[in-house]
Parts: sequence; structure tokens; C-alpha cells
Amino acid sequence: MMENNFNRRDFLKVMGWGGAAVTLTGCGFTSVEDGREVVTSYVEPPEYALPGISVYFNSTCAQCDAGCSVSGRVREGRVLKLEGNTASAINRGKMCGLGQAGVQAHYNPDRVREPLLKGKAISWEEALGLIDGKLKAVKGEEVAFLTGGLSGHVKVMFKNYMDTLGGANHFVYEAASPAVVRASNKKAYGVSMPRLHLDKAKVVMSFGADFLGSWVSPVHFSQQYAAFRKGNRPEGRGVLVQIEPKMTLTGANADRWIPANPGSEGVLALGIINALGKAGLSIPADIAGLTRDYGVDRVSKETGVSVEQINKLAGLLKERTPSLVLVGDAAEGYLHGSQNAAAIALLNRVLGNIGKTIDAPANVPFPQVAPTVGSRSAVKALNDKLTSGKVQVLFTYAANPVFSAPSVLKFKDNLQKVPFKVALAHYMDETAVEADLVLPLDSALEDWGTGVPEYLAEGAQLNIQQPLMEKLYSGTRGVGDILLALLKQRRANEYKGYEDFYSYLRHSLVSIKGVLGGSGKDDDIFWAETLSQGLVKLSGNNGSLAAKANAAGLNLPAPAAEDSNYPLRLIPSVTASMRDGRNANQPWLQESPDPLTTIVWDSWVEIHPKTAARLGIVEGDIIEVASRNGAIKAQAYLFPGIHPDAISIPLGYGHEAMGRYAKNVGANAFAILDQAVDKETGELAMNETRVKLSKVGKRIIVTKEEGPAGGMQMGKKIAVRVASDKVNLSEEI
Amino acid sequence: MSVTNLLENWSTFRHFHPVDDKPHEQYKWAMAINLDACTGCNACSVACYAENNIAVVGKDKYAHGQTMHWMRIERYWDEDGREFPDQGAQFLPMMCQQCEAAPCETVCPVGATNHTADGLNSQVYNRCIGSRYCSANCPFKVRYFNWYDYPDQEKVWPEPLPQQLNPDLTVRTKGVMEKCTFCVQRLTAAKSDARNEGRSVRDGDVQTACQQACPAGAISFGNLVDPQSKIAKQWEKQRVELAAHDEQEKDKEGSELRGYRIFEELRAYPSVMYLERVRESAV
Amino acid sequence: MERDIREDIAWAKINTDVLKSLESPRRLYWVIVFVAMLIFSIGIGCEVYQYNVGLGVANMDNPHVWGLYIATFIFWIGMSHSGTLLSAILLLMGADWRKPIYRFAEAMTTFSLMTAGLFVMVHLGRLWQVYYALPYPNERGVWPNFQSPLLWDAMAIFTYLSSSVLFLFIGMIPDLAICRDHLHPGWRKKLYTLLSLGWEGTDRQWRNFRVAYVTVACFLIPLAVSVHSIVASDFAMSQQPGWHVTSFPPYFVAGALYSGCAAIITLFIILRYVFKFEDYMTLPILKKIARLTFAIAMVWTYLNAVEFASVWYSHDQASKDVLIQKATGPYAPFWWMMNFCGSVVPLVLAFKRFQTSIPVLFAVSLLLNLGMWLERWMIVAPTFSHGYYPWTWDHDQWPSLVQWGMVFGSFGWFTLLFMVFCKVFPSVSMYEVKEMVYHRKMALENKTEGAH
Ligand SMILES: Nc1nc2c(c(=O)[nH]1)N[C@H]1C(S)=C(S)[C@@H](COP(=O)(O)OP(=O)(O)OC[C@H]3O[C@@H](n4cnc5c(=O)[nH]c(N)nc54)[C@H](O)[C@@H]3O)O[C@H]1N2
Ligand SMILES: Nc1nc2c(c(=O)[nH]1)N[C@H]1C(S)=C(S)[C@@H](COP(=O)(O)OP(=O)(O)OC[C@H]3O[C@@H](n4cnc5c(=O)[nH]c(N)nc54)[C@H](O)[C@@H]3O)O[C@H]1N2
Ligand code: SF4
Ligand code: SF4
Ligand code: SF4
Ligand code: SF4
Ligand code: SF4
Repeated sequence: MMENNFNRRDFLKVMGWGGAAVTLTGCGFTSVEDGREVVTSYVEPPEYALPGISVYFNSTCAQCDAGCSVSGRVREGRVLKLEGNTASAINRGKMCGLGQAGVQAHYNPDRVREPLLKGKAISWEEALGLIDGKLKAVKGEEVAFLTGGLSGHVKVMFKNYMDTLGGANHFVYEAASPAVVRASNKKAYGVSMPRLHLDKAKVVMSFGADFLGSWVSPVHFSQQYAAFRKGNRPEGRGVLVQIEPKMTLTGANADRWIPANPGSEGVLALGIINALGKAGLSIPADIAGLTRDYGVDRVSKETGVSVEQINKLAGLLKERTPSLVLVGDAAEGYLHGSQNAAAIALLNRVLGNIGKTIDAPANVPFPQVAPTVGSRSAVKALNDKLTSGKVQVLFTYAANPVFSAPSVLKFKDNLQKVPFKVALAHYMDETAVEADLVLPLDSALEDWGTGVPEYLAEGAQLNIQQPLMEKLYSGTRGVGDILLALLKQRRANEYKGYEDFYSYLRHSLVSIKGVLGGSGKDDDIFWAETLSQGLVKLSGNNGSLAAKANAAGLNLPAPAAEDSNYPLRLIPSVTASMRDGRNANQPWLQESPDPLTTIVWDSWVEIHPKTAARLGIVEGDIIEVASRNGAIKAQAYLFPGIHPDAISIPLGYGHEAMGRYAKNVGANAFAILDQAVDKETGELAMNETRVKLSKVGKRIIVTKEEGPAGGMQMGKKIAVRVASDKVNLSEEI
Repeated sequence: MSVTNLLENWSTFRHFHPVDDKPHEQYKWAMAINLDACTGCNACSVACYAENNIAVVGKDKYAHGQTMHWMRIERYWDEDGREFPDQGAQFLPMMCQQCEAAPCETVCPVGATNHTADGLNSQVYNRCIGSRYCSANCPFKVRYFNWYDYPDQEKVWPEPLPQQLNPDLTVRTKGVMEKCTFCVQRLTAAKSDARNEGRSVRDGDVQTACQQACPAGAISFGNLVDPQSKIAKQWEKQRVELAAHDEQEKDKEGSELRGYRIFEELRAYPSVMYLERVRESAV
Repeated sequence: MERDIREDIAWAKINTDVLKSLESPRRLYWVIVFVAMLIFSIGIGCEVYQYNVGLGVANMDNPHVWGLYIATFIFWIGMSHSGTLLSAILLLMGADWRKPIYRFAEAMTTFSLMTAGLFVMVHLGRLWQVYYALPYPNERGVWPNFQSPLLWDAMAIFTYLSSSVLFLFIGMIPDLAICRDHLHPGWRKKLYTLLSLGWEGTDRQWRNFRVAYVTVACFLIPLAVSVHSIVASDFAMSQQPGWHVTSFPPYFVAGALYSGCAAIITLFIILRYVFKFEDYMTLPILKKIARLTFAIAMVWTYLNAVEFASVWYSHDQASKDVLIQKATGPYAPFWWMMNFCGSVVPLVLAFKRFQTSIPVLFAVSLLLNLGMWLERWMIVAPTFSHGYYPWTWDHDQWPSLVQWGMVFGSFGWFTLLFMVFCKVFPSVSMYEVKEMVYHRKMALENKTEGAH
């Protein structure tokens, strides 16, 4: 680890030089800067670049928004591997596969390496000058920003820049986000992301929250899950029930996976409350009134879950408290998604979980760096704005709407109405391809920044992002540096003290070192320690849960009518590796089999074997999946873990650009989504798209890890399972 | 002269698994994987790629069964004919089981795969001539052959991806066999550090890459010779014996243990113990 | 009783007939040589390609790591058995009908082994490091693994090859002297002079010759049996279902003799036709070989049945699964074809009238060899597709053209070697045929039965 009195800038230079030395020993490293080659002797090795010895530097994973802290292994000036930083309460030294692939984002052969104006390389001066010129010619309201979720000092810079432009529109877009759940949480508990304690729960009942795979903070929840499963904790081994039409990774790990009819999740929740009441649990009057009509028989009919099963669930929940009821993608993706979520939240109140397994999150003492989370409706809002022709300049950052907006929005066409589009990008993704000006970004392992994760595991923390090695390409820039340069164009005086974003960041943090736990420390020491830890724990009191889930205004619709033209429901799946597709160009992720289907390097259509038999479909048939708004083709995969009236296609595949590992791999399921929205929040209802299937008459052999035995053990005891009453877990190590 | 050496030491060459008369002295690396904690997330597998310079072979070669994943996550379904897999799936991380009496070792014509004093099944790439007999005889099929020259001819690491490669181990080339090594480069470094300090490796000094990544902490790893190590305690608690000649305790009627090794009956004496996945009987 | 050979053939005629086969080749010869080279060069092309790109082009995979190379290797090893082994056994038994046919049969052994050796090479992932498998003393004390059946294999085959060459050579010395004496000066004469080791036909030379010949024959018989038993150990000593079978060594030996006999029939017919050796390679001899083949076929069938039965009645479910898979899975057509060719087709040989029918025997012998080749493939491949570990079962594995090309090419190589041999060395033993004719004549004159 780093020593205290150590100059960060020197270190970076050193590492750059180390990199150059590697060149000369034959590793084919191209020179750091044009025309300059440096020879360094290791006989007296530079500090922190001991040849043959790895050093670890802490930073933050940028592969998803969970904000895990990483510890990058660096040797001879090159980052080799990302490991978890044990100091972070979020991931405690652990990493998911997606996070580890961050090194492949950094060393990716398809990164954009210099600013491009309509495909032609230009200098940064020209690029920034061009932006300045364009912006001077338009009004602030005519400028729009589409970004992903933002937090930390990059968020501050964005905000400052937008402020200088006056009235610029900011759209925060996340193609796969728990936006409805956030809104519902806000209503039910007063906060959009309460703290969850799986580890304290005896039962976790999750309505489609894939917390082990892709939901909110999967590495953190996986650790909690492991604790929850321990038979030797006082609560005993926890029981997981997962209710969702398409089996997610979490569903695959459940003690009971229940494919209730898609959209009926809220009804099931009310039915369970009703059954709990019948079983003798006292139900608050407002809720009892609401759930009176949801007797098991009716609920069983509407949800497709058997009466015994509903009663069993009620029995389990009554007996084993505290429990924790979660609501996720599978329940929120409907026209009545908010209603579903509200109904499910009632369970937590009825079961007395609030305050026990659902807790107030820590307050972030500095709201300006607190996260701004994105929504799916943002892209619709921007699109409406584009249609009106009022946007003259559009900036995109950490968002790829051309890929992920449903094609019914005609986003790509509408984009043409914007005379000047600037994409801050790592790759030439679909949106960058459409941009007039592409500004190449430093990789997350080369850039400076801070971040505050939306889901705070314990106290609030400010994550530090710092370069783990010298930049690979001189033509890329950090997003903070770009914004600083743009700010200097307008408010030169205000920012002239900052040579670069690094000095801005350092100044910002050092100037408040008192509240960051560094009072009395020398600036340099404080700064070095901060960087060394890779995160700053922010002191601040925990909030409290304000509102209470109640039955007011809750009104669940009758089960949706069948649609004979489009008889099946499309449940797009957000997988742990692919998510919304932004990391699709990382080969480890493409070759890492999907845990459930074991398919690699392609997308697929999950169909229940019963449905497939009815339609005469077998594995490997190329299927055309047609919705009202388009059609895509993909290979069929017969999958028992899906509701027979639904099919599922993973998101994130089907890129038409981005790079060699992503392009033309699979089909883009975003494209065929119907523009149906949740009535309360206006969020795109992901599970409302109806589709029909037809075979195109081609059959291929599915490229997957699973062999012809099809996941059967053939009576050999390979992966063995035991019933909980047959084993004594209490004394295990 | 080496012929003398061969003749004199013949029996030690042959006996490097802990048959009762020759237990391990300082180290015996072993693993335990708790299937009840394992979520099947694949993080371990990616970590193994990152740590061990494993080639990404691409779709065509994957389709031909020429993938190289040392750590593969298998997904099994119930076999009781349910309409829905309502008890979920079963995941199993599978890699070289570092068998004490490894079937792969005896058959290798050149001794490129053999047993180390620490109880590892080592793989010496430089020595391997690519006969693939070892793979033919591995019951678990966890050996991966380099069907192509991935680094140079197949260019699976286009620039600048080679800069990610771990310099602590090689990038394998055409015609050699490879497999999980229990991250031997990490073990070597830990042992060397410990030796410099005149002690043995302590529990927790070294983690395998898969263990380190695993978000669920499902993998434990350590030195079975050290009775204080977690791994030794786990094995002990589950009454799994490394060189059990008969059945393990768990196989006995009414046992409430859940530690087992795969294909115990083949007597390869694997160094990996799995802990059965548990399913709640009340739902 | 038909006669194995006419007793009135003049010795001079024998010399002339046989030496004629060494004369300047006819056009057909060159056509055959050319075609054989063409076929062989396909194999070479495939190997060059595979060597450069990697074994992946053979379309093997993990865990299906062996394919046609190993199967065809065993096939050629098996093929090598009838020549030398039968010749040696028949020699010791004093069955003199071996005399007109043993020479080419022994040559066949040698060339089969040389062909089998090719597959050891092409099958290696790193052919350029093949010498690691040799037990050469070195300062680092690095030895091959003497526990590996593959190493035993290499040693057994090398020993068998060198002994077979020795046996073939010793048996040829008197004939080489005849060649030396009858040929015009030129490179051949020099060659024969060198190889005939100064043979003059003195009593002393004959005495030493007989002792040496019989000694090598005695040595060869257990050796040949052990060679194929050891090849069987590659499988039997493994732990894999379908391979770990105690009866494999005798089963392999029987299979080897079987395919060897069938190959003798094929080559017998071809040589008889091409070199017009009707006087020496007679139908009665052919009939004897046909009967022998039939007997061996039945032994093989029995051992095959023993293997199935022992798997079927064992408690080894994995082995049973492999067997069931052979009969019903993707390999089923080949497996049934193997059983048909190996056990049903030879029944034809039970009928007297077919035992001397050249077209029938020719066709049958080809089918038997096809069956024996399939047998080897069916031993090697299905276990990989359906081993202990169901997750890695692999039913789509199909050898690529590269593998087929090399199998095909090996026949070119074998033919080429054989063609060269036929033109350089007498493919019928002149001195022994003379002996045979002489013995028959004496027997006839003494009104006794000829020696058998
Ligand atoms: N700490 C430490 N000290 C050691 C050793 C050790 O391992 N560690 N090893 C010892 C041993 S074995 C040796 S041989 C010595 C080596 O010690 P030195 O001879 O000092 O070797 P280097 O430092 O590798 O190289 C000397 C300088 O030569 C420069 N150089 C490289 N190529 C050229 C060239 O073409 N022309 C010119 N003019 N300069 C060039 C390099 O940039 C470097 O600055 O060190 C000894 N001292
Ligand atoms: N990249 C790069 N490579 C270089 C050079 C360079 O400048 N740059 N320099 C080159 C030069 S000049 C040299 S001399 C070589 C040096 O290369 P090496 O000879 O490999 O040098 P070391 O790593 O110093 O020593 C080798 C080992 O000897 C061990 N050792 C120390 N003392 C003893 C002892 O008493 N007995 C035994 N048995 N072992 C002992 C050490 O622990 C170490 O593991 O490197 C060459 N390689
Ligand atoms: S969960 Fe997200 S932040 Fe954490 S390691 Fe995985 S990708 Fe990185
Ligand atoms: S698991 Fe296979 S490769 Fe590993 S030691 Fe055992 S037999 Fe050898
Ligand atoms: S492939 Fe290599 S390690 Fe395996 S048996 Fe052959 S030579 Fe030995
Ligand atoms: S122990 Fe190391 S080599 Fe083995 S699977 Fe785990 S990470 Fe891979
Ligand atoms: S990382 Fe851990 S939880 Fe994930 S698959 Fe591997 S062992 Fe299982």
C-alpha cells in the first residue's frame, strides 16, 4: 500500500516511464507520447515500481453503478487485475465478473483514441473550440445533456457547466433501472433506496428483484445472501422465495421459485396478506379492508399460484419473522407497476419488517455529490424534445440511447434534427456513430473522479476513482478534464486556479478535510491517505423512514386480457454480465456463459418447453419475435424456468457498432419494446410488450456450455442437494 | 548420474499422495465449496481468466468445444419431472480437483503432469508434448488443451490487451494441456514470503483468485496440514478424509453432514470438498 | 485332396517367376505408385496444415481429445499382427503352406508398423518435442514416465518393429543371394550383395541360418502378443468407462490377428493377380487362410460378446451407459456396422464354395477390415462422448476432413511402401517354395502325405 508522504504526480510519471521501459524490453508498447522514448533502469528502481513486485492501488469500479471499491494490481506500470477493496462496506473485497472485466474496458482494442469530427481526427483544441463556437450561437434552453446516473465531482462539474449555459436540459437515463421501485419506496418508506438487511431476515420473499445478479448492488447483496444462508447464525438458515415469470439468477437460488402470472404480483401480495389475516396475524384496518376481497381462491385463479402454495407462504411468513419482502424488475414492469410495488410494500408493513430488515439509509452530508439516478422515462422526454426540433446541441455521456431506446421512439431519426451532437465516449457505440463530434474518454482506470453509490451499505461513503496507470493513449481525456476545459471557456476566472480536474478534485477534498476525518492533518498526508484508502467514509446521521406503506389509492387492475394476435409476453432480462449492453465489447463477458442458459456469444429466446412443443419449436430454431413495433430474430432455447405464457430475451446484445466483440453478436431486444408506461411514474413498462413467434425455417446448434445431457446429472451425485431437515447446519464452520 | 537417481528414487517418484505411510509434511492445499452459498454468478470463473491468462476463444471455437475455462460453472436441473424447476437450479463450480491419486498423472508419457509435495496436481507446460492422455483419463474432464496457438496465430489478445496478462505465469501456446493450478503462482509467492520469515504460510495469507472474487464467499482454501486453518476445520467437521479408503462418514445412514467429494468411488482422492446445497423443506 | 502346390514346378521356373516380379515395372505399377503418392500427399498436406495451425483443425475438442488418429493407429498396429506373428507361429508348427505367402505378409507387418508410427506423430500436440518421450539419460535427470502405458506402447512397438524387420531380413537372406547371383550389375546388385551378407549356401551357413531364424521366431511370438496387449493397456489401464475392461488385451490381440488375416487375403489376391503367382499362391492355400480367418473371427466375436456381457452384468453404470450409447446414440450406425462386418460377414467363410471364390473373398476381406477399423473407432470415440461426467458429454463431435485426410493418406503411404518392396525384394520366398516343392515331390515319391 502507499506511503503517506508520497507525491501522486511523481508516481504517475514513474509508471509512465516504467511503461516505456517495458517497450524496450520487447513487449511492443508504443511510446507514451509522440516521438518520445524513455529508457529507465531498474537497477535502482523507481519508488513504487519495483520490478517483479505488484503494488495495489485502490479505486472504484465503473462497470455498473453499485460503486464497489476495487484494488488494482499494478506491476511495471501496468494494471493487471481488479480485485475487491476490503475496506469498502459495499463489496468487502469481493467483485463480480462484470466488475473484473473493467481491465478489458481499459485495454480494449476498440477504444476511441482521439477526438473525431464526423469520423476525422482533430485536435482537442479544435474540438473544444468547435463546441464553444456552437454553444455561443444557441440559447441555453436549446442545449440538452443526456447522461447516465451521476454522482460525485463529475456530477458537480456537469451541473456547473449546465448552469453556465443557463437553462440547459439534463436528462438522466438508465435503460435498466429500478425507477418504479424507487418511486414506490419513496411513498412506502420515505426514501427511494432504503437499507436492506437480508442477513437479519429469516425469510426473504422477492417479487422479481434479481439482487444476486443485476439488481442495485449485487456484490453487496450476494454477501448478505451468503450470511443469510448460514445455518449457524442465530436466525437459522434463511429461506428465499422468488416470485417472477422468468427465472433470474436469484430465482435459481431460491428455495421456492414461483412463476406467478406476469403482472399478478400485486394481487399475490394482497392474497398473502389476506391469508396471513386468516392465519391469525393482525392486519392494520386499512390494509385489511383492501385485502378483504383477495381470498386465496380468487388470488390463486388470477396468479396461477396454487392455494396450498399461497397458504404455505403465508404460514412461513407468519412463523418466521423478521422477514424481508423485495420488489424488483419483474413486478415493476407493467402499466400498473407502481400499484404492484405498493401492494407488495404492504407486506413489509403487515409483517413488521420496517425498521427491522428495512432501514433508513445513511444521509449523504453533501447533496451536491449525492447520486442523481436515471430513469427510463428520460429518453422518452428527450425524444419528445428532439421531435419538437428545439434541441440545437446535444451532449451524451455514459448513455447509448440509439441502442437502448425502443425503436418505436424513432430516436435515431429524431437525433438527426439536432444540428450538433457531441458524444463523450469510450467506444464508437451506436450513439457515438451518430454524433458529429466524438470526445474520447480516458478509461475508468486512467481517470480521476469521485462517486457516491445510490445504495449505501453502511454509512455514507465517497468513493475515489484514481488512475491505476499512465494513460494508454495521449488522445483521450478524463470527463472531468473535458468539463473543466469547457467551463474555463465561459468562466475562466473562476476556474483558472485549477490546472486540471485532478487539482480541482484535490482542492475540493482537501478544503473540507475536516469533515472528511482529516482535521489537523497535513494536506498532503490527508490526500495521500484518502487516495490510499480509495474511499472516504462520510460521517452523518442515519435518516429515518418517514412515511408508512398504506393502502390509500391502491387499486390493482383486473388481469390483462389475452391478445390473440400477440399471444406471448416478452420479459426482457437484465443479465449479470450484459446489463443494458454498455459492456458488451468486453470479451470475458461475452465468453462467460449466462448462468441460467449457459449460452455464450449470442442472444436467445427462452421458451417454456410446453409452449415450444405447442408451437413446434425446438432448441436452435431461429425464431422471429415480432411485437407491434418491430421484429428481431434469435435462437430458441427451451427453458423450464419461464412462465409458459411468456418468453424472455436478454438485453444488451445486438450491437450494430461499439467494437469487434459486441458488433453483430445477438439481437437487440430493446428495439421491439412497446412504448407502454407505468401509469404513475411514466416509466417504460418493460414487461408489457406482447409478441408472437414464428420460425424462420433455420436451425442452428446453440453455442453453450451445457452439453447434450442438458443439465441432468444422470443419477451421478455431482451437485447434491439436501432437504433442510436432513442436515445439521448449526455447528458448521 | 541421472540413471542412478532414477533407480534410487523410483519409489518416491511413484508415491506422492498420502497413502497412510507418507502423509504431507508442510503443506497440503485443499478447497471447500459451499454449494448452499454459491449463487452460480460466474465471478470466480472470470477471476480465473484474469489471473491465469486464459484465452477467450470466440464463438466458433466455443461451439467446437474448444473453450479454455479452467473454472466452469455447471447448472443442473431437477430430475424429478416437475413442470417448473420450482426449487431453483443447482450450480456447481468445477475445476481440477487436484486429486491425490490423480488418474491424469499416471498416464502422462513424459511426466508433464505430476504431483507436488504440497499435494497439487501440477502441469508443466514446457514438458508437455500434447498427447492428451491426461485429459482422456481425467474423470472430471477439467483439462483444457490448446488446440490452436491462441496468443500469436489466433490473436486472441489484440493490442493492447496483452498488457493485462499476468507476468507471474506464462501464456500457453499451441499443443499443450492446461488446467486449474490452484493458482500455484500465488502459493509459490506466499511460501517464499513465509520461508523468508522462517515460518509456514499462515491461514489467510494466500487466496486463490476464484476464492478472492467470490461474492458469496462460497470458496474456502488453505492448508490441510495446518489444523488451525479454516479448511482443515471444515474438512474435520464434515469428517471428510483425504485418503478415505472406504465410505466417508456422510455416506452412513442418518448422517447430518453435507461435505462430500465427487466420484469418491473412483478413489482419485480429490482435494476439493463440496458442501451440499440445502433446500428448505417447509416451502 | 487338392494340392497346396504343384510338385512338378522346376526350381529354375521358380527363380524366373519370382525374379520376373522384380523386373522393370509395367505401366500399371507406375499408375498405382502415382495414385498412392497422391493419396499420401493428401495426408501430408493435412499434417502440414495441422502442424502449422494446431490440432484444432482436426476438430477434436475438450474433452473429446482423441479421434481417428488413435483409432487408425490401433488399426495399423493390429494389421501388423498377422504377418510376422502368423509366420512365426506357422514356422514353429512346421506348416509349410506358409512358405509362399509369408514374405509379403511380413513386409505388411513392417509397413503397417511404420504407418501406425505416423499416427503417433500426427496425433501429438507438439510433434517437435516428441523426443521428450524417449528415455535418454540426461544431466537434469528428467525421465519419461515409466508408468504411462503410452510409453510402454512406444517401447513395445519399437521393439516389435525392429524384431520384425530382423525376422523379415533373416528369412530373406538366401533369396537375396539368388537375386545377387541372377541380376546384372547395377545398384540393385550392389544392394543385394550387401544385404545377402556373403551367403553361399554352405551347410554351416544353413545350420546357423535355421537356428537364428527359429530363435527370432520364438522371440517374436510373445512379443507380438504383448504388443497388442500393451496397446490395449492404453485403454484398459485407464479409468474410463468403456475402456477399463480386463478382457481388452486378448480382445485386442484377437482383433489384430483378425484384421491381419483379412489383409493377407486382400493382398494375396492382388499379388496373385498382378504378378501372376497362381502357381505359388494357390487356392488351397487361400482356403486355409480363409478358414483361419473364420476361426479368428469367431474368437473375436466371442471376446466381443464377453466384453458386452461383462459390462452388462457389472455394477458399473457408467460403462453400461457407454455401451448403450454405442448401440443407440450418434455412433450407432457405425457400431452396428462394426458388429455386422466383424461377426456376420465372416460367416460367409464357413461355406466351402466361398473359401476359394476369389471375388467373394476379396469383397469379404475388405468388409472385415472395414469392420476392424470401425471397431477401433468405436473403442476410442464413444467413451469421450459419454464419459463419467455428464456435463461434458459431447455428442456432436465429428472428425474434420483433416482427420479423414490423414486416415486416407495413411493407406497411400502403406501402399507406396509395399509397392516399393515388391519391386525391390522378392515377395515370394524362392528358397522356401523350392523346399516345399521338393518336400511334396519326395512325399509323393514315397507315397506318403506331404508335411503340413
Ligand atoms: N540494486 C542492484 N544493484 C546491482 C544489481 C542488482 O541486481 N540490483 N546487479 C549488479 C549487476 S549483476 C550488474 S551487471 C550491474 C549493472 O549495472 P549497470 O551497468 O549500471 O546497468 P544498468 O543500470 O542496467 O544500465 C546502465 C545505464 O545504461 C543505459 N543504457 C542502456 N542502453 C544504452 C546504450 O546503448 N548506450 C548507453 N550509453 N547507455 C545505455 C541505461 O539507460 C542505464 O541508465 O548492476 C549491479 N548492481
Ligand atoms: N530486464 C532486465 N533483465 C536483466 C537485466 C536487466 O538489467 N534488466 N540484467 C541482466 C544481468 S546483467 C544479470 S547479471 C542477470 C541477473 O539475473 P539472475 O542471476 O537471475 O539474478 P538474481 O535475481 O539477482 O539472482 C538469482 C537468484 O539467486 C538467489 N540467490 C542469492 N544468493 C544465492 C546463493 O548464495 N545461492 C543460491 N543458490 N542462490 C542465491 C536469489 O535469491 C535469486 O533468486 O539479469 C539479467 N537480466
Ligand atoms: S457490482 Fe457493479 S460496481 Fe460492483 S464489482 Fe460488479 S460491476 Fe463493479
Ligand atoms: S481432476 Fe482431473 S486433472 Fe485434476 S488431478 Fe484429478 S484427474 Fe487430474
Ligand atoms: S497432454 Fe501433456 S500433460 Fe497431458 S498426458 Fe500428454 S504430455 Fe502429459
Ligand atoms: S484455484 Fe486459481 S486456477 Fe484454480 S479455478 Fe480458482 S482461480 Fe482458477
Ligand atoms: S463466484 Fe462464488 S458464488 Fe459465484 S459462481 Fe463462483 S463460487 Fe459460486
